[in-house]
Amino acid sequence: MRWRKKGPSGVVSAPLDTRTQDKARADGLASVRENRLRTYEPGGNVSRFLDLLEKRISRSLAVSMTACVHCGLCAESCHYFLARPDDPTMTPVWKADQIRKIFKRHVDWTGRIVPWWIKAGSLRGDEDLNRLKNIVFGSCSACRRCTYNCPMGVDTGLLVRFTRGLLTELGIVPEGVFNVSRDQWETGNQMAVSEKDYLETLEWMRDEVRTELGDDSVDIPVDRAGADILYTINPREIKFDPRSIAHAAKIFHVVGASWTLPKWGWDQTNFGLFSGDDRLGAFVARNVYEAAERLGVKRIVISECGHGYRSTRWEGYTWAGYDQRLPTESVVVTLKRYLEAGRIEVDPARNADPVTFHDSCNIARSGDLVEEPREVLGRVCSDFREMHPNRRENFCCTGGGGLLSMAEYRPLRLEAAKTKAEQLRATGAKLVCTMCHNCIDGLNDVIKHYKLPMRVVQVLELVSNALVLPGAKAK
Amino acid sequence: MSDTLRILENEVQIAALAFMAVVYTVRLAWLFRFRMGRERTFPAGREAAGAGYSLMNIAMPGAMESTRKRPGFYAQFVVFHLGVAAAIAGTFIIPYAPALFEVRPVMRAFQAVIAAAFFVGLSRLVRRLGNPVLREVSSPDDYFSLILLMLWFAAAALAVPNRPDKGEWPLILYFGLTAFFLVYVPFSKICHYLYYPFTRYYLGRALGHRGALPPKGKTGAAAGRPGESRA
Repeated sequence: MRWRKKGPSGVVSAPLDTRTQDKARADGLASVRENRLRTYEPGGNVSRFLDLLEKRISRSLAVSMTACVHCGLCAESCHYFLARPDDPTMTPVWKADQIRKIFKRHVDWTGRIVPWWIKAGSLRGDEDLNRLKNIVFGSCSACRRCTYNCPMGVDTGLLVRFTRGLLTELGIVPEGVFNVSRDQWETGNQMAVSEKDYLETLEWMRDEVRTELGDDSVDIPVDRAGADILYTINPREIKFDPRSIAHAAKIFHVVGASWTLPKWGWDQTNFGLFSGDDRLGAFVARNVYEAAERLGVKRIVISECGHGYRSTRWEGYTWAGYDQRLPTESVVVTLKRYLEAGRIEVDPARNADPVTFHDSCNIARSGDLVEEPREVLGRVCSDFREMHPNRRENFCCTGGGGLLSMAEYRPLRLEAAKTKAEQLRATGAKLVCTMCHNCIDGLNDVIKHYKLPMRVVQVLELVSNALVLPGAKAK
Repeated sequence: MSDTLRILENEVQIAALAFMAVVYTVRLAWLFRFRMGRERTFPAGREAAGAGYSLMNIAMPGAMESTRKRPGFYAQFVVFHLGVAAAIAGTFIIPYAPALFEVRPVMRAFQAVIAAAFFVGLSRLVRRLGNPVLREVSSPDDYFSLILLMLWFAAAALAVPNRPDKGEWPLILYFGLTAFFLVYVPFSKICHYLYYPFTRYYLGRALGHRGALPPKGKTGAAAGRPGESRA
């Protein structure tokens, strides 16, 4: 490890802001009234935290609490530490130790008898809980890069999510986390998109594709029973970037796919993954699974979203206590199948700019898709360049773990983005492709902050660009 | 051989081992008290392959960036743990198969490995004291365990010639420390080896189910150089 001169150090000391929590209570929101969305109440939080800690801990978490040998090998796997190499509080081991010491003091053996001997410790009050909030929400994107670099197999990413979940139960969360959770509980989607906006945006995109293809038979079906594919999306697509829906619609139309979006249960993103709230995770995931059952589809396809993919494909079934019955896949896998089967024809020359690929943490490290997007990009781009490191060793876009919703930690996040910026710059690419909407915003922040000459695209956009429409070749 | 040494090499070791076994059994029962969730998703890979890969990680320095970039650190790890294995073996060889240490090259090999482990321990101690990250996270137990191990290595290196006729104190120190270790280890960080199979198994099984382990793609240098075009 190299040690440099002293720079800024320590975790961000953001106070607990409960204004929107107070408003939600005053407004009598159903989620608050029914105690699904927890709000902060002063007093008794430490004992509740400790109760929850003991009650909720699983065996795989318990071993991660006990197995760390403080070797420090995880330090350099963390982009926060790489940006602040003289600050021990930026290392995964230190961050995980802040929850580990509480576990050791209250649940484990030695720490109960001689806490000082193993640096076990307790919480003195809500101020300590708020400090813990600033550590687990503010200085970790739960990207799990350290997990893959721990010789002992300690899953720090999971420990951080677990701790976030305990704090969420007490309402000791950043305001942004509360707001997004509230929206997802109240409206079923994390951006509070109304049904009217949703349906109108889909119609708008349908009309765009009709105009582009000059074909009035193009449709973006909603709630079509018996379709093969249930297509689920990220609310960001409705609110900020609906072109991705148009790209998908265009491709589905060209292959003649039988597909539909649901009227309810269309949000594949899941803030429960970030807040650590398994109940919210279960609610959102169940919405999707039940929509698929209601419509009798054969497959759930998830649009390009890292945490949405992880939540809907993997974690959601566990949170919801729901045995998977239908194949659930990323749209990138669907695209790969179409390309391999020759159901779509592409011309890579149409994507001539150098393209690099950013692996989303939630897909590459907590999921299974690493080669699939590369195989698609290999067919639709003429100049593909690997980022280094890549695949499961890639660095986080720095907006992961819900950090984009937490304004108070933005300066530290952008400081920690130095590694990502260097990684992007070294590729010499003009386009950075990612299969995650969260990463788009994270990378855009990095590109803007570090003045990089590139823009972010998604796999769907590149495939759509390269698409050779039937009959176009003959012309 | 004095009665003290004979009892220390035999009865005391057996009693300490039995104590450790009991504590470990209780420890494992404690661990199994925590619930394990049930996997509800279709697999994208094989749990057994993931778990196997994860458990074998210890023998694959190239598998993790953290060890791939620090071959020296990994080599130290190997030497240190070989030293532990040799020192443990010595506690059985001396009382139950002393003839083995009468073969001079064998005895010298044990001494060399244990001495090397001692020096690795020393460098680890210097690192722990000098590195602000490690200093910040280290507990008294971290320092005590490391210093105790170094002391044990030193005692073991002197004891393996097994010559009580030339003075019993290295053997008394070695077996005394061993007995102390057997009692102390279950309560210290040294018992990480008890958890290692569990952390690695659970992580590997979960990621194996998802097809993330064993890694399907390339890693490290094989994954390409920055800016390298595939065109």
